[in-house]
Amino acid sequence: MVYTNKSPALFIIGIIMLAIWYTADSGMLSGYIDHLAAGKKYKYGAELTTIPLYFGIIAAAMGLWQWLGTHKEGNWDFYSSTVAGGMFILLIAMLVRWFIAPEVAVISQSMGTIGETGKHLHTILGLNYVVMGIVTGIIIVNFFKIPDWATNGVRLSRLGLKTGVILLGTLYSAAELKNLGGLSIVMIGFFVLGSVGMVLWLGARRNIPNSMAGVLSAGMGVCGVSATVAAAPVVQAKSVEIAYTIGTILIWGVGCMFVFPIIGHLLGMSYVQFGAWAGTGILNSAQVAGAALAYQPDGIETLKVAEIFNITRVLVLPIIVIWLAVWYVQREEHITEKVNVGKVIFDKFPVFVLGFILMFALSTTGIFAPANHYKGKYFDNTKIKAENILTDKQVAQLQADAGKVQREDRKAALARLIEGRKVASIDDDATLRGLVNAKVMSKDSNKILKGAHKAVRHTAKKVKAFRDWITWLFAFGLVGLGMQITVGSMKQAGGQPAVIGGIVGAVKAVLSLVVVMMLVSETI
Amino acid sequence: MSENKFDRGSALSIFGSDRREDFMALVFALAITVFVYFSY
Repeated sequence: MVYTNKSPALFIIGIIMLAIWYTADSGMLSGYIDHLAAGKKYKYGAELTTIPLYFGIIAAAMGLWQWLGTHKEGNWDFYSSTVAGGMFILLIAMLVRWFIAPEVAVISQSMGTIGETGKHLHTILGLNYVVMGIVTGIIIVNFFKIPDWATNGVRLSRLGLKTGVILLGTLYSAAELKNLGGLSIVMIGFFVLGSVGMVLWLGARRNIPNSMAGVLSAGMGVCGVSATVAAAPVVQAKSVEIAYTIGTILIWGVGCMFVFPIIGHLLGMSYVQFGAWAGTGILNSAQVAGAALAYQPDGIETLKVAEIFNITRVLVLPIIVIWLAVWYVQREEHITEKVNVGKVIFDKFPVFVLGFILMFALSTTGIFAPANHYKGKYFDNTKIKAENILTDKQVAQLQADAGKVQREDRKAALARLIEGRKVASIDDDATLRGLVNAKVMSKDSNKILKGAHKAVRHTAKKVKAFRDWITWLFAFGLVGLGMQITVGSMKQAGGQPAVIGGIVGAVKAVLSLVVVMMLVSETI
Repeated sequence: MSENKFDRGSALSIFGSDRREDFMALVFALAITVFVYFSY
């Protein structure tokens, strides 16, 4: 089978990308960009003048060769033919991120804020480039058709997501896991084991086959499709049962991906709270990422917290597989095929999770940023810009409010800040952040303290580069994910699996929301 | 994308198995890491 399609499509995609670059770089788009910026600074200026140039050249050159060249069956033909579909997804991601999502935001802002939320419609509905990219993918696959020349490349989307998850490890450090790890383990342990147990119990009450209940429990409890695939041989699930489970997870996950950010905005959840909730309550790794990015499209703090919870959940998988194996063997007396649980775990455990841990280990050594970096940023009060040293006016403002501070440690840290006109140490920085959160001082003083905090926090260039890579890998993967969500796959969720999955999913989402709101503070 | 019309890989991936896709993701991630490490 020859995969390369002799079509001008990839060449045209390359020309469109180069046209975007040229019009942006030459200033021809400046009027439209000003309109999209709506009085603020347009966030994607640097991307617009670099990314479409590089990828446009590659796409145009490869496109000419695919269009006019001769192609023979083989590895080169198979792998090079994926470029067309990959560039197709990338072009959609570019258009949505740079133009369509900002345009929707402009329209939404012109409609004013919604009720008492103080937020615009697009913020509440999470209508950003991530959600719109997925929706565009769903529309293309269900209302049109993925063009033949793109079908092979669209299958790269999951590779993009997995690569993004591995690289996410570069943004974590031991300092962060020390704060988040314990809570995520307790929460995930409780909710994963609870979900699996609930599905198995409901499955018995509703008389669905043990194999169906087993595979559904893994999917609903752990991490969606990967867990389903891992648990299937243990409970000897039939392919239709795997399909039903994946369909249930998909339809539930898609719903969560859109509903979670809306609820999060309505409740005014912090990034950490929302990340913990999404990482616990949403089933599929990709959908966790989708919801987290939808909640905070231009930052990565929510995604990082959500992924910590998500990764913790994936790490529970071997325990669940062992549990299901024992459970299934006990219930199926007529079982004939012996299942080697250890082999199943070894064969099915997702290696990309180990890649994430490897990147985390590298990050912890300090090769990407100082080892004590927190959220990709690190403390250094020796390289503060002159304009960020506190002015006489700011010092006077802080002195006027200093009497309101009661705690001795906060008083001392504030005194050192006033004296040195910059945050004196990393401990003082933490103390002063606590002072801001306590809202003891006036808004003006808190604003000064926040400024002083930002002045001593620096983002490592390498970490920033990793963030950009991760953002694009996820954007790419999620547009492709949308192209794999067909109406047919959603219909597969019908019947008992959907009912059981819906009950368990809803209980997990509500209970985890309650726990997060009660236990997770703004900064943990 | 629901049925597999390819003679290589699956409906959702160009790779024949999840394990192979995981390893390729690892290779790409390491390549990006090396690039970022020496470029920034």
